[in-house]
Order: sequence, then structure tokens, then C-alpha cells
Amino acid sequence: MGSSLRRALPLLLLFVPLLGLAHDVTSADQELLRNGGLWAYVQVGATHMLTGYDHLLFLTGVIFYLNSFIDILKFITVFTIGHCITLIGATYAGITADEHLVDAVIALSVLYKGFENLGGFEKFKVKSPHLLLMVGLFGLVHGFGLSTRLQSFDMGKEQVLAKILCFNLGVEVGQVLALVPIVFIITLSRKHKQFPAFYKAVNWYLVLAGIGLFAYQMYGYL
Amino acid sequence: MTFELKFYIKYNNHYLFLLVYLISNFLYMRKLFLLLLFVLLCSHDLYIKMESYFLQPDQEASLSLYNGTFEKSENLIARDRILDASVIAQGQRRAIDPEQWKDQDSTITQLTFTTGEAGTYVAGVSTKARNIALTAENFNSYLEHDGVLDMLEQRKRDSVLGKDAVERYEKHVKAIYQVGETKTDDWSTVLGYPIEFVPQANPYEKYSGETLEVQLLLDGKPLSDQLVYAGYLKGSHAHDHAHADGEHSHKSEKTHTHTSGQQLRSNDQGVVVVQLPEDGIYYLRTIHMTRVTDSDELTHWSKWATLTFEVGHEHGPDTHTHDHDIPTWVFIVGSLLIMGVLFLIFRKKN
Repeated sequence: MGSSLRRALPLLLLFVPLLGLAHDVTSADQELLRNGGLWAYVQVGATHMLTGYDHLLFLTGVIFYLNSFIDILKFITVFTIGHCITLIGATYAGITADEHLVDAVIALSVLYKGFENLGGFEKFKVKSPHLLLMVGLFGLVHGFGLSTRLQSFDMGKEQVLAKILCFNLGVEVGQVLALVPIVFIITLSRKHKQFPAFYKAVNWYLVLAGIGLFAYQMYGYL
Repeated sequence: MTFELKFYIKYNNHYLFLLVYLISNFLYMRKLFLLLLFVLLCSHDLYIKMESYFLQPDQEASLSLYNGTFEKSENLIARDRILDASVIAQGQRRAIDPEQWKDQDSTITQLTFTTGEAGTYVAGVSTKARNIALTAENFNSYLEHDGVLDMLEQRKRDSVLGKDAVERYEKHVKAIYQVGETKTDDWSTVLGYPIEFVPQANPYEKYSGETLEVQLLLDGKPLSDQLVYAGYLKGSHAHDHAHADGEHSHKSEKTHTHTSGQQLRSNDQGVVVVQLPEDGIYYLRTIHMTRVTDSDELTHWSKWATLTFEVGHEHGPDTHTHDHDIPTWVFIVGSLLIMGVLFLIFRKKN
């Protein structure tokens, strides 16, 4: 029992940042944005990333697959560039879509990552798509999701571009804050003899969470 | 083309009929267009509009005079038209310096200011009366378009729909906004305008789903049996991202809904009960019009009033969740459970 607990500890630690900062993006954020100036946009961007479990699940899936720090840096950079493009571009241009539909596609990205990490493509004897390209593409989708959420707030008429950039900055800050413990725990867990079980458990969970979130968002849309 | 038409007229009665029909149709459309243009240009409500009515202490903010509709201002307000412009806070009434008003985009007169201490604030603007001469047709259209239905009915009853009018009109507008969290009693201040709305409770202690009683005063006395219209722009999600330089703008149709509005009639105490169904910026408007019988110049006198304020929802521990998201804690607990079970299964398998 004691050893089970020790093994389960990394899992719990993985979610400590979420538990500590759990705070849904709400009308309270709207009031903060109304009255808090540009700093409020940084704050809400960071909060949204830290509590946006769909973004974090995808990133967890990406990191699980990678072994070296250089690879992690490369993939996270591509993901960041992708989401910056759509977050800034779509918000500034006023391009938006139904939040449920966008979140449903993001849920599929989580499902995709778990499926890929479990060797799903190999099992079906299908060549898996280019990893970096897919991360970049999903980065664009996640950025559009962030943009849709940002556009659901009343941003006022002044300093619109500065507000978008500040929100984006907040998202990056939130991403770094979330990534540090995730990378740390996954790196540590690799040395553990139960890592294969942990790897499978987390990636199967990503598949299930992706399906569940997709169904939930589609239900919301319909 | 002229030759062809002459040919048709000469040789074919059917084409003659068609020609007459087209000409009369064109004239009718032109008349309709001019009438519509008149209504759009002449009937201008005046509102005090703010980007947000929830502000923080010592925050820079602006209020705009919207002369047109609540959504679009068509004209500036000349400074010499402003009889009174005041802000009431902490029990004190301060006049707004006329020099502080700035013109924006040739359609909006705007005041930039810094808020003071926390409290519920009132801003009011009263304008000088002006006269306008209208043909009977234009006058009737304006009465219908602007909801001055009692006067229109009276004209019908008196069989004077064909009479032209010279109307004196004056506008008196108020806005109530909240600075910080502290609620103060200034919302109930009567500014002493010829016509004005006075809420019977602090709008910032009301929340969506509730109602707000508002009293209408004419020359300081309750005005009963008066038509009042109340509308709102939905929610804190109201979008209008127009950049200051005008190079880009967009609106979210989903969130920027203009409601058809409530048509209310004041009771014996001059009170109307306004429904506050959703979060949003609410605006009340009324036009009180009387016939003038003792003047050679005027036939009618109207007094216009508007009131604007914003309504949010009550903040309780259960209201801070996104409408369609799973609460984060539910997601985390559920995720840990699923992953724990999966981990145990795969460990056993290994």
C-alpha cells in the first residue's frame, strides 16, 4: 500500500498547480478585465492557461512522447508559435466560431495525442502524420480556442491590440508555469520501474478524456 | 429608350399602363425613402453611454453623449445647448466644465474623467429647448416611430392628422454608474430637470432576473399614465471592438443583441417596473408631449428623458463558473480517479 502511494504521488504532484490555482474563467474575469487595465489581461491569460485542462492535457501528451529537453523545447516552441498566430490574428480580425465546436476540436487533439503515444497508428498499420507538423496544426486550433474565449469578453474600444498581446503574454506565462512541474514529474517518472504502467495509464486517460470532452462539447453545441 | 417608350405608349395601351405604374411606383418609393430619411435624421434620442458602468476608484473613464440611438450616435451636442451637466457623488453635486467635453468622430460628444472614491455615481445632462417645424405627414411618422403613441391617438381622435406642427423639444438624460464596491445613496438624487427618471432602488443592488422600479418625474411631480420604453444590450459580452483610428472594427452578432424592448406605462405614482432579465446595459426612454394652445408659434412641446445603467448578476460561490465548462475541481478529481484505476490495472498487467 505504501509503495502504491509513493507511485501515485507523481500523479498527484502533476496536478498540484491545477489544484492550487483552480479558478474557472468567469464573469469575475470580465470584471477584472473591465477595471484592471492591461495587467488584468496578462492575469486572465495566465489563469485561463493554468485552468484550461484541455490545453494542459495536450501539452502533457506532447511531452510524454519526447525524451530530450531539446525536443521538448522544439515542440513547445512550434505549439507556441501556432497558438500565437491564431490567438492574435483571429482576435484582431474578429474571427470567431462557436466555442463548443472549437473546444470539440481541441478535445480531439487530446484524443489524437494519447492515441499516437500509445502507438495507435502502428497498430492500425498506418503511417503516423509528421509529429512537429501536427503539433503546429493543433497549436493553431488551440490558439483559435483561446481567441474565441478572449472575444467572449468585452474588451472595450481602446488599446485592443495591446490587450490581445497582454492576454497572449499571460497565456505564455501560464504555459511555462504549468510546464515546469509537468516536465519535472514526467522526467522523474521515467526513472521509475513502473513508468510503462504510468505511461499507459496517462495516455489511455488522454484518449478517454479526449472522447469525453468531445462528447461533452458536442452535446453543448447541439 | 425615350423613343421606345413613346412607341409603346402610342401603340400599346398595356405599355402605357405599365409606364404609369412604374412612374407612380417610383414616386411612391421616393416619398417613402424621404420619409424614412426624415425619421432617421430628425428623431434623435439622447443617452449618456459608457463603455462600462462598473468602474474602479481613481480610474480613467469616459462617458459619451449618444445623440441618435443607443447603439449609434448621429450628431454632436453643441456646448451652448448644454444647460446643465453634473456628476453627483458622495452627496455632492459638481458641474462638469464645458471645456472638458471633446468631440469624437463628428458624431459623439465625450467626457474623459477620473473617478473618485468608491460609490454609486449619477451623471446628468440637460439641454436647451429647440423648435422644429414639421409637415403633418412627417410629424405623424415621427410620433409613430418614436412611440409617442398617445399624441398620435389624440390627433386621430381630433381628426387633425393633416395639420402641420411646430414642436419645441428638450432632452434631459441621466446615467448611474458604480465605482468600486461601496454602494452609496446618490442614485436617488433628483437633479431637478423638467423631466427625469429616478430609480426607487440602487440599480447596483439589483441583479439580472430581478426588477427595478423607476419613477418618472415631470417638473418634480410623478408623471402617471406615461409610455416608457426600456431596452438593453446583452451582457458583459457586448462587443464593439472599433479601434480608435477607425481602421478596423468588428461586432459579434451572437453577443451584441439589441432587444425589442419593454413598453411600459407609469402608474399613479409615476412608477414603471422594469424587468432585468439578463446582464447588460439598460436604457429607459420616454417622450412626454403636450399640445400648446396659447402660442402663435408652437403647436406642441415635448420633453425627452433617458436613463442608463448596467446590471450584473449576483456573485455567490456558485455563480463563478463558466456556463458550459466542467468545474475544474470536478475534472481534476475525476481525472485522478480514472488515472489511478488505469495505473493499477496496467501495473497489475505488467
